[in-house]
Order: sequence, then C-alpha cells, then structure tokens
Amino acid sequence: MELFLLSIVNGLIQGGFFALFAVGLVLIFGVMGVVNFAHGELVMVGAFTIWLLHAQYGLGYIPAIMVAIILVTIIGLLMERFLFRPTRSDPLAGLICSIGVLFILQVAATLVGGDGPSKQVPPPFEGTLVLFEFLRIPYQRVFSLLISVTALGTLWFFLTRSKFGWALRAVAQDREAASLQGINSNRISIIAIGVGAALAGLAGGLVAPLTNINPHMGHNVIITAFIVTIVGGVGSLLGAVLAAVLYAMLHTFMTVYFGGTIATICGLILMVVVLIVKPSGIMGVRVSE
Amino acid sequence: MGISRRDFVRNTAAGALIASTGLPSRVFAAGQKTVKIGMNIPMTGDYAPWGLPGLYGCQVVVDDINAAGGVNIGDQNYAIEIVSYDHGYDIEKAVQGYKQMVSESDVKMVMMLGGSTVGAVMPWADRKKILTTTLLASDITPDTEYLIATSESHPLYNVTGVEWLAQHHPEVKTAAIVTNNDAEYGLQSAATYQAAFEVAGIEVVDINLHGFDVTDFAPIVSSVLAKNPDVFCMATSFYCTPLMEQLYHQGYKGKIISCTLDYYDEIIAKTSKEFVNGTIFQFPDFDDPKLNEKGINFPNPGDFDAKFRKDHPNDWSAVAWEYPANLLNWIEGAKAAGSVEPTEVLKALRSNKNPEFVFGEGRWWGKEFWGRDSVVVGRWPVVVVQDGKARIQEYRSVSGWLDKHAAVLAKYMKSHGLRITG
Repeated sequence: MELFLLSIVNGLIQGGFFALFAVGLVLIFGVMGVVNFAHGELVMVGAFTIWLLHAQYGLGYIPAIMVAIILVTIIGLLMERFLFRPTRSDPLAGLICSIGVLFILQVAATLVGGDGPSKQVPPPFEGTLVLFEFLRIPYQRVFSLLISVTALGTLWFFLTRSKFGWALRAVAQDREAASLQGINSNRISIIAIGVGAALAGLAGGLVAPLTNINPHMGHNVIITAFIVTIVGGVGSLLGAVLAAVLYAMLHTFMTVYFGGTIATICGLILMVVVLIVKPSGIMGVRVSE
Repeated sequence: MGISRRDFVRNTAAGALIASTGLPSRVFAAGQKTVKIGMNIPMTGDYAPWGLPGLYGCQVVVDDINAAGGVNIGDQNYAIEIVSYDHGYDIEKAVQGYKQMVSESDVKMVMMLGGSTVGAVMPWADRKKILTTTLLASDITPDTEYLIATSESHPLYNVTGVEWLAQHHPEVKTAAIVTNNDAEYGLQSAATYQAAFEVAGIEVVDINLHGFDVTDFAPIVSSVLAKNPDVFCMATSFYCTPLMEQLYHQGYKGKIISCTLDYYDEIIAKTSKEFVNGTIFQFPDFDDPKLNEKGINFPNPGDFDAKFRKDHPNDWSAVAWEYPANLLNWIEGAKAAGSVEPTEVLKALRSNKNPEFVFGEGRWWGKEFWGRDSVVVGRWPVVVVQDGKARIQEYRSVSGWLDKHAAVLAKYMKSHGLRITG
C-alpha cells in the first residue's frame, strides 16, 4: 500500500512535468502546423540556464527560472519570426528548420557548458516532506508538482476565459476562417510559440535540480512529448494533459512492479494501441483527408 | 486543426530520421609530432565522461614526457603527440575517425573506450595490424589479435569491492542491483556483481534493469527499496547521482556499492557528506596516499592528480588515469621492442608474461571467457568515501578471484545472454 501511494505521487509529479512540455508542443503544432523537433532542446536550454545562473553564478533559483522562461521564450519567438513564418506554406520545411535549431542549440549548450560530464544543480529546496510517516517526497519534487499544476491551470484559464485564448483556439481550428473573422493569425502564432516555449523553459527550470543536464537531454524529452501528443490526440491540449498523466502513471507503475525496461516498452505499446483503437487519440478529433 | 494526425506522424518520422544523423564532431590536436598515438573516443554525448577526461589525462602525461625530452625507443628519441577524434559513441563516426587517424595521421596505437565502437573498427584494425586498446574486457574475441585491455578490465574488478564488503560488514545478507540494460556495460557489470555476491554469500533480492530514457529515478528506487536490501548496488555509473539522490530522500540507511562514483562531490552537494560516506566503489582519486606505495606503476600520481585538477577542476572521472595508463603501457612495450611499429610493440607486450600495469604486476587473461588472453588482470583497489573523500582501503586480487570463481561468473554472464567464447 505504501509503495502504491508513493507511486501515485511519483506518477503525478512526472505527469505534471510531461504535460508542461507536451502542451507546449501541441500548442505550437495546433496553431502553426509545425512539428517543432527542437522542443526538447528548449527544455534543455531552460535546464542549462538554471545550471549556469543558479549553480554556477549563484543567482536565486526562482529568478533563474524567470530568466530561463524569458530566454526560451525569446528563442521561440525568433524561431517563429525567422523560420516558421517564412516556411508556413510547407510544414516539412518548418520541421527541417526545427531540426536545424535542435543541432544549433545542442552545440550552443556544449559551447557554454563545455563537453564532458552532465551538469548537476544542487536542490534549491532541501529536505523531504513526510506524510503518514511513510510517504517521503523531496520538497523539490513537491515544488515541481505545484508549479506544473499552477502553470497548466493558468494556461487553461487563459485559453478558455481570455479573448486571446479564444482567438488562439479559433486559429488552431481553422486559420483561414479565423482570419476572415479579423483575427491576426501572425500575432496568434507569436502568442502560441511564446506560450509553448515559455512552458518548455519552465519545464527545464523545474527538472534541472532533479536530473542529469547535458546538451542531448532533449532527445528523451521530445520522444516522450510525441508519445503523449499522439496518445492524447494531436492538437488537443486537454488530451495532452490527460495523456501525460496516463503515460506517467503507466510508466511509474510498470517501473515499480515490472522494471524500467518493461515500462519503456509498455509506454510505446500504449501509443500503438491508441493508434489502432482510436487513431485520433484520446481527445483528438478525426480530420478527413 | 490544419494538419492531420497522419501528417504529424509522417513528419515526425522524417524528422527522427534526419535528427539521427548526429552532430558534427570536434577534433583536438596538441603537441609536437614524432610518434602519434590516437584517441578515438566519445568527447560529446552521454559517454563523454568516459572519454574526454582521458584525453585531458593523456595531455598531462604527454606534456610531462615531452618537457623531459621525450622518450627513447630503440636508437631514436621520440616526442609523443596525441591525435584525438570525437566519435560521440556513434559507430559510423568511430570507424571514420579510426581510418582517418591511421591513414592520414599514421598513428601507431589507437585508444578507445570500448563496446560497439570497438567492435566496429576491429576487423579493419586487425587487417591493418593497428594496435588498439579498450577499457572493456568483454570486447575481446578470438579474432581481435590487435586488441588489448591493459589498464581497466571492466567489469571484472567489481568482485574486489563485494569481497571487501562481505569481509568488513558480515551483517550484510541481501543486495539489490540497479543498472542500465545494455549488453556492453550494464549487463556485464550486473552479471559480475551477481557472481561476486553469490561467492560472498549475499543473496541478490532484486535486479532492476532500466533503459537510457529514464528521466525520473524515484519509481526505480522505491521499487528496489520495497525489497529491503542491505546493499544497494549500482552496477554502472551513468545515473549514480540521481539514484543516490533518491536513496537519500527516500531514507535509505543500508550500504551502497557502485562500480564507479564519478563526480562524487556533486552527489555530496545534492545529498550530504554523511550519507555518501561509506559508499564503496572501485576508482581512486590519484592524490590517494596508497598510490605512493611500492608496486604502483604510474609516475607521480599525486602530481598527475594536481595538474589534471588545476587545468580541469570539474572533469576528473574514472577514465582520467586509464587512458594515460594505456599510453604508459605502450611506451614500455615500445621500449622493450625497440620500435614504435604496432606488431613489434604488441609482440613485446605479450612476451611479458607478468606485465606491470597501473596497480602492480598482472597477468594476461581472457582466453577461457573471450577466446584470447588479451586482458591484463592483477590486483585492484577497493575505494570507500571517508569524510567526503575517496580513499583506497586495500588492494584485492582480481586474478585470484577469477582463478577460484570464474565458473560462477560464466554462469551469470550466460544467464544474461552475454557472449562467452571459452
């Protein structure tokens, strides 16, 4: 029972992190029609920023997260303006551009951080929360969960209650129809990639003290993000959040009871099963070809 | 949405294909040109900690040798130059780098980390008769005539740590092993630990294998700790830091043993000195006083350690001294041969039945496991963290253990589907 409860908590923490970067990927894809292969590297840049500013130069963890969010947002905006906007008519061109950015960011991180060992960030929040005398959760992980939930909740409020949110969803559904309604799709694209990149920067900031940081860490991130996106339904933000939690729970429980190797296989099986049973994903809508 | 799921999947697959082509590599070069030694190693990517520190270590040794006037081999005085190539642990790049070193730079020996990258270059290396070193004993096959492992014999030395643990902590009865599930590093090491634990009378209650895609080690540690092991064993070191961090937060109180404990100061920073104290592993710092004792075949280890850390304060890892040790072995072989030519050096090295390797006298071993006596085994240090600093406790005999228990090791190697030729 103790292990079961601990696994639920671990699954939620992991799910929150997965959701942060998967939602950003979905947002960018939904509005701009670009599969941003560099999304994992945006998370990496966020984590590297924390390592550089917090672990190396002693800037406070929270200010370092703010800088990471701003920096990654700027990178996202530059990608939109100089890569994705000019190639909007050709999704494959946008994708290839994003792969170019992927390599550029990896090399930039190597130049900044040097080659060699993975970087480590000492936990800004020391100590462990102990519940019911057996549930031990490091404060760093509690912080990560709270911020993830808060960020996703804020995004949800923004998308469903604000004019920009409505416009963004309209462009995601049909760019031409939205334009005919007077919505500036360029501005909406900027908002979408800005929000998506900011979430990636935040995810990098939250995960930095919990994992090995290296220029190639985005690889695992993007694979997870694609699995979550496909399972949730391509283009569905709610689907991405649900799939992130589902995938994280599955991965966590399979790791605990059957081992990490089996967990990885099961995650991929989940994706295959969804593609066979409900190709549009859990919350996706079928689009006619 | 404007794009269908099918487009998304298709574009994603196309992107994955393009992305898998990898990064451009970097090439380091330094020093004078006389006799060139190649280092075809990972300097970027996940395996970089087991490549780049070795290059830094070799540069320290080569600078010292060249500053002292070089080395006399036969009637000729040579300066040594290191030619390096970053293969990023990519097989194609490893082959490309190897051929480039031999064809364009005329290197007389190539030092490599091991694993699939070594397997990929050896057919060509053997045809060209180029001496090559690996840090993985299991790379040896009956066909690899020009491949030797003269400094590290991963993972055979792990048996010494378990032997020491059992002797000094007889209260320990159970162990759990955690490692990545690759055949080159993880499973080899897991099998060795299983054999060592069996010989020591310690029951293995869990073997937790995981892939390289793990981003959260909390579930793995929770799962293992549910088995209440007296010993938590990390068979390879890719993820020592997050594993130790989770052990710390989940309140683990038992013993910890690990193959390596690279960057243990960072682990202390993430946990506490008290928690890390007592952790057993196999790779000393080179400022250890016990390395100044008689029988150690590494010149001025303390000076080497100091110079390395002065230039690269955060880069010391297990391989920092291993590639230099291979280089020093090659120099001894070349001196004995009176030649820098690979065939002559190899012949001279093999003719010495009791070669002196870094921790003392060794012997050639490996035929009964991998079809060739190309691995030097001898004694190996058992290292324990004390007051936040790695310190050698004693040296124990790997070759003695193998003489008595090789069959147990072979049993576990086979149980994991690992290649045993003998």
